[in-house]
Amino acid sequence: MRPAQDNQGSFLGRISIRRNQFVDVNNEQEQEDLELFQKHIADRFTDLLSPPPPPPQQQQQPPSDETNTVVPTTATEQIMSVTWLRKLMDVFLCCEAEFKAILLMGRDPTQISKPPFDRLVPEMLDRSIKALDICTAVVNGIDSVRHYQRLAEIAVTALEQRPLGDGNVRRAKRALANLVVALSLEDKENGGGGGGGGGGGGKTTERSWSFGRRSGGSSTASKGGATIGQLKSSSWAVGRNWSAAKQIHAMTANLNPPRGNEAAGLPQPMFIMSTVMVFVMWVLTAAVPCQERSGLANHLPVPPKHLNWAQSLIGIHEKIGDEWKKKEKKGSAGLMEEMTRMEKLGHSLIEFADGFHYPSEKDAAESAAVQVAEMAEICKRMEEELVPLQQQIREVFHRIVRSRAEILEVLEQAGKLSAPVV
Amino acid sequence: MEKNNDKDHDHHDDDKSKGDEKNDDVSDARLSDDAHDQDGNSKENLDNVVKTETDLDPGDNVVSQGEEAPEIQQTLESLSEELDQLLSSLSLHKEESSIKEGSTEEEKPEDDYFQIPQFVGKFLDLFEDKLSKYDSGEPKTTWYQDPEEVSSLLEAVDRVSKLMGLLLNTKSCLDHHEPLINHAGSIQQRAMAFLEDEFRIILEESVIKEPAVVADDSSSQRKSSADQQDHQNDAVVSQDHDQMIVPESGDQEIEYPGYPEEVVVVLRQIAEKMKAGGYGWECREVFLVGRRNILMRTLKRDCEFEKVSIDEVQKMSWDTLEREIPIWNKTFKDCSSLFFPGELKLAEKIFQGDEGNLFCIVTHGLAIQFLGFAEAVAMTKRSTEKLFKILDIYETLRDSFPSMEELFPEELRSELRSEVTSARSRLGETAIHIFSDLENSIKSDSSKTPVPGGAVHPLTRYTMNYLKYSCEYKDTLEQVFKSHSKMEQEEDKPAETGNSAFASQLMRIMELLDGNLEVKSKQYKDIPLSCIFMMNNGRYIVQKIKGSAEIHEVMGDTWCRRRSSELRNYHKNYQRETWGKLLGFLGHEGLMHNGKIVKPNLKERFKSFNATFDEIHKTQTTWVVNDEQLQSELRVSITAVMIPAYRAFMARFGQYLDPGRQTEKYIKYQPEDIEDLIDQLFDGNTSSSTATARRRT
Repeated sequence: MRPAQDNQGSFLGRISIRRNQFVDVNNEQEQEDLELFQKHIADRFTDLLSPPPPPPQQQQQPPSDETNTVVPTTATEQIMSVTWLRKLMDVFLCCEAEFKAILLMGRDPTQISKPPFDRLVPEMLDRSIKALDICTAVVNGIDSVRHYQRLAEIAVTALEQRPLGDGNVRRAKRALANLVVALSLEDKENGGGGGGGGGGGGKTTERSWSFGRRSGGSSTASKGGATIGQLKSSSWAVGRNWSAAKQIHAMTANLNPPRGNEAAGLPQPMFIMSTVMVFVMWVLTAAVPCQERSGLANHLPVPPKHLNWAQSLIGIHEKIGDEWKKKEKKGSAGLMEEMTRMEKLGHSLIEFADGFHYPSEKDAAESAAVQVAEMAEICKRMEEELVPLQQQIREVFHRIVRSRAEILEVLEQAGKLSAPVV
Repeated sequence: MEKNNDKDHDHHDDDKSKGDEKNDDVSDARLSDDAHDQDGNSKENLDNVVKTETDLDPGDNVVSQGEEAPEIQQTLESLSEELDQLLSSLSLHKEESSIKEGSTEEEKPEDDYFQIPQFVGKFLDLFEDKLSKYDSGEPKTTWYQDPEEVSSLLEAVDRVSKLMGLLLNTKSCLDHHEPLINHAGSIQQRAMAFLEDEFRIILEESVIKEPAVVADDSSSQRKSSADQQDHQNDAVVSQDHDQMIVPESGDQEIEYPGYPEEVVVVLRQIAEKMKAGGYGWECREVFLVGRRNILMRTLKRDCEFEKVSIDEVQKMSWDTLEREIPIWNKTFKDCSSLFFPGELKLAEKIFQGDEGNLFCIVTHGLAIQFLGFAEAVAMTKRSTEKLFKILDIYETLRDSFPSMEELFPEELRSELRSEVTSARSRLGETAIHIFSDLENSIKSDSSKTPVPGGAVHPLTRYTMNYLKYSCEYKDTLEQVFKSHSKMEQEEDKPAETGNSAFASQLMRIMELLDGNLEVKSKQYKDIPLSCIFMMNNGRYIVQKIKGSAEIHEVMGDTWCRRRSSELRNYHKNYQRETWGKLLGFLGHEGLMHNGKIVKPNLKERFKSFNATFDEIHKTQTTWVVNDEQLQSELRVSITAVMIPAYRAFMARFGQYLDPGRQTEKYIKYQPEDIEDLIDQLFDGNTSSSTATARRRT
């Protein structure tokens, strides 16, 4: 499945050996490889689209949310859950390895330096550069998610206290208010884009709060205000004017399905791989807080529906896109399944906190306890999976870097071969 | 039992309506609750009910306290002492009972129950008042700058936390005093929220603006920086106060992150109190967010560091990128030596036993970002001019990363290390590629027009300066070639022993350059000129190599000697080609016939000599020899050959020409003139000055 993954660097060696044997690429063999590649892509994304059926109660999650007393142990494989995102990363790495094998192994290097590849390959390499920045942005975004997770954990700790008193509830509310502000500010804040604009959100809450306190707003200010402050996006962004939306846009700008006789050859897997890459990057920017991504919900052009390999990918795209469009208006930090649930729970627990009077009413306390348990479960999953996800994205980053270098190396060789020896 | 309640209220009635209301609520709740308790208890817990007054050692105190309360003004301080006594006796009591309990919980539960004395509620009320004052900004001075305030506040917080701890861990309290627990918990939360906010403010505002100040004058330094902060009116902590004892170590530097020691102490105390009260996570989070932001601000301010995306790096003009790289280098080095260690130390000071966790969260993302930039530079379109900046980055990673990685715990360390290894490989490979680009550009440099005057070819100049400069990085390049070449031939051959990979790279480039110059020299139709060209270039090369110890060491003496002897050959060729012919006119053959001078022949000789010499002069003054030493070597050697021969010829034959007109006509030059004219050769003088125009004065 991952033919060439572990011996990067020895590609050259192999190519040069095999170059002489395969002067004329075996056409039939190649066709077979390409078809297999498409089939693998289709299979992998089908797996992603329809994970093993989750326990039934999870299915009807959205409508029954407020009163839902479902024990939140499921949803691990649900689209956009951390676990699913981790699977997506694995899928990407597999596709990438397979693609690279097709592109480079046993191929005469001069072949990929001729038209149309003299255009297609540089375009692909440029896309990969942009993907790298997205990886960085997403890794930073996950740092933010871990911040949310810690806030949620505070709230959970507070609300798990028995007897549940005013202090606990206020403590939880404070953390939740930070959480909710963070979750909803992130996008707008990042939307600022410019270096000066970033961090505004954090500052604002901070100022209004300290104004409140200093001017004698008595205890109310410190009861519930969001105060921990945000990680200022200007400091943690990718670059001053960097925008995920622009980058994704640029990646798709020249991404067109090959036509005519190109469709049968190498341009096809190149198109597929690029599509997969853009798609994966798009999903990542959707999942976690990411610098400047306005308009991305609608943006990603999907590959033509008639392409077999693309069916499931399109399916996933539609699901996420719909969700995103809904969320975009409200402004949300990310569509990661755990985050959206966290946000809902956060709001609902804040409501609980607002209505709380000691001693607590039994019903309200019980339903809050269920939500707290769900929140705790989310935190636990984040605790287990966010760091590995971050590491996987780093791995994707390095893989892209390496592949890029290998492709360039081959092109270089091709350049030498075709250039007249002086 | 609750008889004091009303009296209690009376005397702080006037404090605050708001606080009062609350107090009423609580007291009422307590009252009713207790009453209810008593009733309820009669069923199952009756045995457990032990009156405080009788059960507790300090019970007397409590009683008397209760009675005296109306008369004397209770203060937070006076109540604190009592609370301390209560707490210690309770915890003692609890320990004992829990030991007993350990075996049979059910049998002796009665020890668990104590009545909470009234003054506890009073204490909480007073403490809440205090918090309200802080909240309203009433104290003119900032509390954390007044050691007394610090200790009074933190100790009070501590008491509340301890009280809460006891209440929550004592079954009977949970059973009977829930309203009190709620009240205390609420006040605790308020205190913790206050501390959290203060923690952030202190963290963000107490940094001395200029870190790394030697603290000989530390006190004045602190003072002046404190003055800069608008809300700090009071001078900094007096050193003699017991709580805030900071050994005034006058010889310590306040280096990054630049908090005065006493501020660090306050932060640590807050962190400890918050942790003790179970609010440690809030404190850590505030710390994380605050430090990250401060660190980024610092990097921007001190190093002008700003994040740049990889894509942006690819699109930057080299001019811009060339300016970014030193900034990156400085930032990385400073982070390794100053900022990151400072963060680690600070986190450890404030959160003792944290073991680097906070530090990692604060810095890890930044470290990754740094490495991304290195990768980005390695990915840019290659060009020879980039080599040295790339090597700078390589060296920075090599030299500064080890001390940086030390700061991280093992797990992250190895992750970062592999990131750095990857970045270095990329940079190293790029550097090697740049050399092969240089090879290619030398190979393919085929400019058709020869350099006028046989001067040093720009290619020679460029290549040599480049190589000379690169030799300033020779150890690094040696390392780069050893670790990162993955050319196939090198895989097969076992590393040639003792042969430096970089040296052989240099040799290869020199050979290519030689070959290229050889070809270029053929472009001169004039053989002497092509000799001059080769001499010029050869001399330039040798001089460059001798001029820099590094490159000299790489190329070696043998190579230099061989080059010098090649140069001498060109010199001989030149001499023969140009001046051999002229010397021919000064021979004696054909001038004498039967012992007599053949005057026409002599005249012809003179004429030919003059014409040829003029021609040579005219041509070769336009030739260029920039190297002064070479120029004078050439002139001297020409003079040494020409002048004696000319002198001898003149002495021998000059007399045969009639003095006057004839002599003037045929003896155009005196030997001194010739000497002077030779001295004008190789000046690169393109203005067609004739020899005669520059007669000696």
